[in-house]
Amino acid sequence: MTAEKAETTASDAIAGTTEGPAAPGPRALARRRRRASVARFWREFRRHRAGVFGLAALVLFVLVALTAPLTVGSDVESVTDAPGRPLESPSGQFPLGTDQFGRSLLGLLVWGSRVSLLVGLLAAALSVTIGALIGITAGHFRGWYATVMMRITDWFLVMPTLVLAIVLATVLSRSLGTIVLAIGVTTWPTTARLVRAQTLAVESRPYIERAKALGGGHWHIMSRHVLPNVMPLVLAQTTLIISSAILAEATLAFLGLGDPTVVSWGGLLQDAREAGSVSSGDWWYLMPPGVGIAAVALAFTLCGRAVEAVLNPRLGVSR
Amino acid sequence: MSAHDQHGSGRTGPRPRRARLLAAAGAAAFLLASGAVTPSAPAARAADGDQGQKKVLTVAVAQSVDSLSPFLAVRLLSTSIHRLTYEYLTNYDPKDNHVIPGLATEWKSSPDKLTWTYTIRSDSTWSDGEQATAEDAAWTFNKMMTDDGAATANGSFVTNFEKVTAPSPTQLVIRLKKPQATMTALDVPIVPKHVWEKVGDFSKFNNDKTFPVVGNGPFVLTDYEPDSYVRLAANKDYWRGAPKFDELVFRYYKDQDAAVAALRKGEVSFVAGSPSLTPAQAASLKEDENIHVNDAPGRRFYALATNPGARAKDGTEIGDGHPSLLDQRVRHALFMAVDRKAIVDKVFQGHAVEGEGYIPPRFSQYFFEPSAEQELAYDPAEATRLLDEAGYRKNADGKRVDKDGEPLNYRVLCHATDPNDKAVGKYLQEWWGELGISMTLDCRDNVTDPWLAGEYDLAFDGWSVNPDPDFVLSIHTCAALPATPKDTGATDNFICDEKYDELYARQLGEYDAGKRTEIVKQMQSRLYDLGYMNVMAYPNAVEAYRKDHIESITTMPSSAGNIYGQDGYWSWWSAVPADSGDSSGDSSSTAVVIWVAAGGAVLVGLAVLFALRRRASADERE
Amino acid sequence: MSEVASAPAGPAPAGGRAAGPSRGRRAYPRYVAGKLAGAVVSLFAVLVTSFFLFRMIPGDPVKFMTGGRPVSAEQIAVYRREFGLDLPLWRQFTEYCGKALTGDLGTSYQFRAPVVDRITEALPNTLLLTGTAFVLYTALGAFLGTRSAWRHGRLGDRLNTGLALTLYSVPSFWLGLLLIIVLSVGVDPIPGLFPTGGMESGGEEGFAYVVDVAHHLVLPVVTLVAVEYGQTLLVTRSALLDEMGGDYLTTARAKGLRDDLVRRRHAVPNALLPTVTLVFVNLGRTVAGVILVETVFSWPGLGGLFYQALSVPDLPLVQGLFFVFAAAVILMNTLADLLYPLFDPRVGR
Repeated sequence: MTAEKAETTASDAIAGTTEGPAAPGPRALARRRRRASVARFWREFRRHRAGVFGLAALVLFVLVALTAPLTVGSDVESVTDAPGRPLESPSGQFPLGTDQFGRSLLGLLVWGSRVSLLVGLLAAALSVTIGALIGITAGHFRGWYATVMMRITDWFLVMPTLVLAIVLATVLSRSLGTIVLAIGVTTWPTTARLVRAQTLAVESRPYIERAKALGGGHWHIMSRHVLPNVMPLVLAQTTLIISSAILAEATLAFLGLGDPTVVSWGGLLQDAREAGSVSSGDWWYLMPPGVGIAAVALAFTLCGRAVEAVLNPRLGVSR
Repeated sequence: MSAHDQHGSGRTGPRPRRARLLAAAGAAAFLLASGAVTPSAPAARAADGDQGQKKVLTVAVAQSVDSLSPFLAVRLLSTSIHRLTYEYLTNYDPKDNHVIPGLATEWKSSPDKLTWTYTIRSDSTWSDGEQATAEDAAWTFNKMMTDDGAATANGSFVTNFEKVTAPSPTQLVIRLKKPQATMTALDVPIVPKHVWEKVGDFSKFNNDKTFPVVGNGPFVLTDYEPDSYVRLAANKDYWRGAPKFDELVFRYYKDQDAAVAALRKGEVSFVAGSPSLTPAQAASLKEDENIHVNDAPGRRFYALATNPGARAKDGTEIGDGHPSLLDQRVRHALFMAVDRKAIVDKVFQGHAVEGEGYIPPRFSQYFFEPSAEQELAYDPAEATRLLDEAGYRKNADGKRVDKDGEPLNYRVLCHATDPNDKAVGKYLQEWWGELGISMTLDCRDNVTDPWLAGEYDLAFDGWSVNPDPDFVLSIHTCAALPATPKDTGATDNFICDEKYDELYARQLGEYDAGKRTEIVKQMQSRLYDLGYMNVMAYPNAVEAYRKDHIESITTMPSSAGNIYGQDGYWSWWSAVPADSGDSSGDSSSTAVVIWVAAGGAVLVGLAVLFALRRRASADERE
Repeated sequence: MSEVASAPAGPAPAGGRAAGPSRGRRAYPRYVAGKLAGAVVSLFAVLVTSFFLFRMIPGDPVKFMTGGRPVSAEQIAVYRREFGLDLPLWRQFTEYCGKALTGDLGTSYQFRAPVVDRITEALPNTLLLTGTAFVLYTALGAFLGTRSAWRHGRLGDRLNTGLALTLYSVPSFWLGLLLIIVLSVGVDPIPGLFPTGGMESGGEEGFAYVVDVAHHLVLPVVTLVAVEYGQTLLVTRSALLDEMGGDYLTTARAKGLRDDLVRRRHAVPNALLPTVTLVFVNLGRTVAGVILVETVFSWPGLGGLFYQALSVPDLPLVQGLFFVFAAAVILMNTLADLLYPLFDPRVGR
């Protein structure tokens, strides 16, 4: 799920929460209301300075990542045409120094941001999708299905997440897909729990009774009434999970479970350690990827907290 | 629970650490919470004082002990420890690797080449006072021949033994099934019969419960803490002379870089690479005037193995190696696109020698260099020509395709824990990419599984070569293939070549050293031409020690050789402590700094407290 | 490990656990029984998973064990029998469960020693590291969280939360490596103050040993505390903020109680609830999360053992460790569940 898409659906949801069930009205009306709620959301969001700061940082990072093919290009990855000598410390020619093949670390950092962001986003999307799906269905269908689902969720919840992710990454072959899967499959239970609680709350409202009485089927209830109402929660959860997913990606790459032929921030840290930069005191090799990881994770966390605060002011989390 | 009890009671060494640990936990928590590490300083000094009287040589290793039982241990660290604590029948001269007496003082073979008689020395005693005799040796070999559990690590040495007897305490007789040239290179630790005959299940006995462990080597094993350290004390009565250091400690670091950092700080005296220090580590250590970097010709070869269409002895095919690799021209082309010089210069940054034959030049008598017309030198143009000739032409996208139009893509098996594999892999990807061949670098923690299953096209391969090359030669014979796909053979890369096998059999039965050397070279020539084992480099053994701890140490070969993992105990036995009273200067400055830091921490703590108090009263004022 | 674990913010304690008993004191014994039964079921589920999950790792354990060394078919058969691999899967499973009940988790492939032995050797080391870190980061987080909530919105609060969030976003292994560079290897003006890794220098006895271990403990603990305290801080803070809107606080203040007394006597106890829950959930997770820190600092604990065992792979050991990690989480969650009603002032106990 892309960020913009999430945002529009979220504003939809706000419309839903604040103005009651969306009666099937003229399309224009719906669009206007949607636009109004987006504007309101943005107005609220803007008041959270940390959130705005995080968002700005994110936009910057995404821009850097998207333009990487233009600014540095895949040539930075080449070892045979590496421009520098191995492990040069920062200089005018190589602002961040070179790695053990003599490749420019600045270039690799920019190039690696693509993978780190992509894995973070995909893993979070996978995790939240699973979580929302299980949460909504378990909240909607009561009875044995819910019991089984929540048992499974509880069970995943007690599994030590990193341990499970490491195991999965070891069992499967080394690739980005594996990393995405390992993170996605291990981080969804929190979302499922939260979404289920919200679903239960939504479904206890009278208008759901009305919708059922009017002959609304399971699919109708879940997609038209429940989903829009849990969307804000899902959105906030997504931003927060992206931040942990990026950290998790770095962690797995650092433990040597990533794809060694792909440049990522975690992989750069792993390379740095393997080359021996810790004992040599080559802090300039270790510093940039770590700062990158921390900055992106922080930016997503700040955004997520601001979104959460906007959608659920009672929390008083931020400000 | 019973396992735990046994564990506690069976051990006589210093063990009751648990209680102390808990105490330490409390103390540490307290110390940290109060923001002061203050008492560390005097303690550190006291500890140094201790070490000042007792000369301790601490070696940082990046490998943990698998087992301390000589019958089970296979890791280099564990077998090195066994070299130090048990006598082997023979040893190797540190100068040039030739065989010299160990527990056996002399040996001779019968005219039919089937009976070997060893004279056992009478001046070697076990550390519990008993005399080491031929009976101990006979018992050790017999145990390995009769007990599968005892054959785990070194069983291959005795498979050709018919009978081992000890007619007298100084005479050991081994009767063979077939002639075997490696009878002076039986690298098997001889254990004391009177201790080991009490052992029940050899496959489970790890020899790590009762200390000191009874042995007769230059050192005695006195303590072991899993994943922490192994401690050895000098055997003052050793027949070749007592070691100069009083104690030898192998300390385990999970990560090589941490070990290097420890050397820099003087926490350890020596750091062994696993298998070698990285170029960056070597370069930065060289700048330290107190550290000597030993950059010696290695005993390993680093090769690119090609799947020869793996099969079992019964002819069943194993795995799914790429069929195009069965064409010798393709194999040669792939290797000719490999710039070995670039690998040595860029990946090893000079800490290696360009690959030629199979056995590294360190073993000069066996070293083989391909002749000029035979050599597969770096020549991408010739590689292109060979591929075209073999019928693998480029398609419209510039990819080479096979007869069915499928683009060539090779899976290259690499060790995820070896940075060199990953680095060379990146180069191969680009070199072969220019030939129009793509490759997938398949890095795993555990390469054994796809390897034994034959599920690879190429693979990074490497072996440490012993002074007697028999083992590394034997792993390419047809006899080493698994009997059926279900078995595990000794084979390295499923190579099976009649001509090579015939040469192998000849060298094994050849007791004349000069003639045997000639045959070994012919074998390497054959292996080179086949192109299934392409040696890219012989990595150096790069290791480092502190000159302010160790004054001198014997390398092997003594002119330019390695220190850790020698075929013998020479390095640690010969190491002379530096008399500068090791790292005391360093640690006293550390102590000062700790004092300062602690003082600072206390000050900060006070300041914070003060601020808090003020703020609290400010709240009240509001 | 918190990095992969739950999101930092949100009023719901990480993991959104079930609420305590809602219907007063009568229910407590039944509640306890229910929770304990649940824990036992979970433990069993973990046992089942750890058995089957690691059977998914492709390949023949005997071939790993022999590491490609020449092994005759007979010897392979011996190994198979020795490790019970010649039995059908379901028999292996029942055998595994039966042995697990008697506290036997099998024999490690690489060390040829009982898994339980290896674990009991490493466990105290891990407990020492995590225990120390846990006490410190909980205390620090709760303390700073309370302060932050009390002066919320002001500069102090902003700095506090800002720092907590930043450190929370930092990869722990990276922080550890930097600490090693700066404080252990030493960067020019700063000499190396702390050991580079390991738990002891070896050879010390008595008090010197304790101090030596404490010295080795500093950097790993600092790393863990730095990355973990933020979560406690944020949860304490938001719980307190929730409480602070409460009418009874206004009443208390109107009665003329001093501000800090209101805080200490009224708001903090009520806000403790989610914090306590988090504390326990955290403790369980930290035991597993220590993998990275132990790897970076060569700490001879469970985390390092797990990572090393996985790379072999030493299945029985990995299996046993996995079980221990999950059991730690279950144990702590159950404890939290049992303590929950005791801390909740709204449940009249």
